[in-house]
Amino acid sequence: MSVIKVDQLKKRFDGKEVVKGLNFELTPGKCVALLGPNGAGKTTTLRMLSGLLKPSSGAVSFEGMKENGDVRQHIGYLPQYPVFHNWMTGKEFLVYVGQLATLTKKQAADKADELLEKVGIAEAKNRRIGKYSGGMKQRLGIAQAMIHEPMLIMLDEPVSSLDPIGRREVLTLMEELKKQTTILFSTHILSDAEEVSDDLLLMSQGEIVESGSLQQLRDKHQTSKIDLAFRDDLDTYMNRIQDMSAVTDCYIERGEIRVLVEDVERARTEILRKASQENWPVTKFEVSRTSLEDLFMKVVKS
Amino acid sequence: MQWRTIFAKEMVEDWRNFKWVWVPLVYIIIAIMDPLTTYYLPKILDAVGGMPEGTIMELPETSPVDAFMMSFTEYSMFGVIVIVTITMGTIAGERKSGVAELVLVKPVGYLTYISSKWGEKLVLILGSYLLGMLASWYYVNLLFGDLAFSEFISATFFYGLWLSLVITITIFCSTLFKSPGIAGFVSIAILIVMSIIYKVFAKYLTWFPNSLSSHIRESLYNGKVDGDLWGTALVTIALIVVLLYGSLFTFRSKEMAS
Repeated sequence: MSVIKVDQLKKRFDGKEVVKGLNFELTPGKCVALLGPNGAGKTTTLRMLSGLLKPSSGAVSFEGMKENGDVRQHIGYLPQYPVFHNWMTGKEFLVYVGQLATLTKKQAADKADELLEKVGIAEAKNRRIGKYSGGMKQRLGIAQAMIHEPMLIMLDEPVSSLDPIGRREVLTLMEELKKQTTILFSTHILSDAEEVSDDLLLMSQGEIVESGSLQQLRDKHQTSKIDLAFRDDLDTYMNRIQDMSAVTDCYIERGEIRVLVEDVERARTEILRKASQENWPVTKFEVSRTSLEDLFMKVVKS
Repeated sequence: MQWRTIFAKEMVEDWRNFKWVWVPLVYIIIAIMDPLTTYYLPKILDAVGGMPEGTIMELPETSPVDAFMMSFTEYSMFGVIVIVTITMGTIAGERKSGVAELVLVKPVGYLTYISSKWGEKLVLILGSYLLGMLASWYYVNLLFGDLAFSEFISATFFYGLWLSLVITITIFCSTLFKSPGIAGFVSIAILIVMSIIYKVFAKYLTWFPNSLSSHIRESLYNGKVDGDLWGTALVTIALIVVLLYGSLFTFRSKEMAS
């Protein structure tokens, strides 16, 4: 059972492949984060799923959609920078797009009132959108995506442009919406993804590099690591550490060398021996476990 | 349903930004400007004075038909400029600002989207134009002599087709380009090229849309609508339909979000 199935989805812009063959399915009722650094192809992917961009190749299919049906009937979409008709009031805009989504005027008006209440801007419904704050516009954006009760709503960076209070409010709202519909949202901030999503799709350079539920990913990527800091140039030591047999991988992050290891005991002995032999100016030696953050940083950097 | 929704939204938008006020006003002024100044010019010159004693002013007598035709001459210039300025952003502007992304992610047909906006501009502009022509007809009757109602209606109808074509050309350019400015510029360029083509090949292009006003003049003089006027009208209508579908075609090939 899946709401949407994506099969070998590709997008090329002027010969450059921005999205390189995505495959994934979304389970109904889940909140899925499409996580990745800027330029990973998240927006392009969402736009293809929403029908705003045509895929260069590949297919997107929706559960229960008729042949030749309009995909757009089943999805709600909030672009990264939603623009409204500023001369309209919030309610007028919702009624307008509601009618465009084939509701009657009456249905659209009722639904608009309900949603304005839900997203918490009911008191501003008769004010012009031009006078709304960024957070209010974002919430109006979410309301317009929900107006025709779609099976799936897609939010492109819903909280990235908001201040801490606005972010908190929108995240709480998403927490609420999760109960009613399937959500796919993109973000480049891991903590936002960890907070509201059930599943993660980790995207980098046009590909999905890792996916699964938060817990699965945490378990899978919890390997041991040793953090090292030096009072000296890191690169010289980096090479030497990389050559050690107990070390699987290492990289530099925030002025420290992160050493990923299979066997902590063996690696520790090896590193410490070398350090004392060559008299390394070590200022920090810490054994810990990797987190999703490390996984994310590794993906971003590669 | 959706057609009416977008049409109504455009109406409200043009009402709130006062287009429903200034476009009719400007169109009335354009229509009566020339007949009025022509009539009052000798009187103005008299009042201002400064003419040497004994100067005899020999101004040719203006017939009602000529006075009425002046309105069309002014429309072919200022009327067209007003059309292009208020129509060029209809679709390009929504695409540029990004509202189109929210609208077109709803299940709206592209033809509905284009034709409803086209329809609203048609109502706004042709409505204003009709008011302007009524004003012109009134003054022509008052100052220059009788012009039959039936002649007023037929001339106004046929010239209205030319203005509709101008609207459609601008809408077409508005789907073609993302910047309203460029859409407007290209619309004007197309109109200029059409007028050059017509001037050069007038002999062979009897049914070219640009020849509408000369056919209208003939029919006003002869007092009957001849085949050439009907032929030109049909060509113009056909061109409007082709351009509307052309807009749909170019719009479909565009990627809304890029």
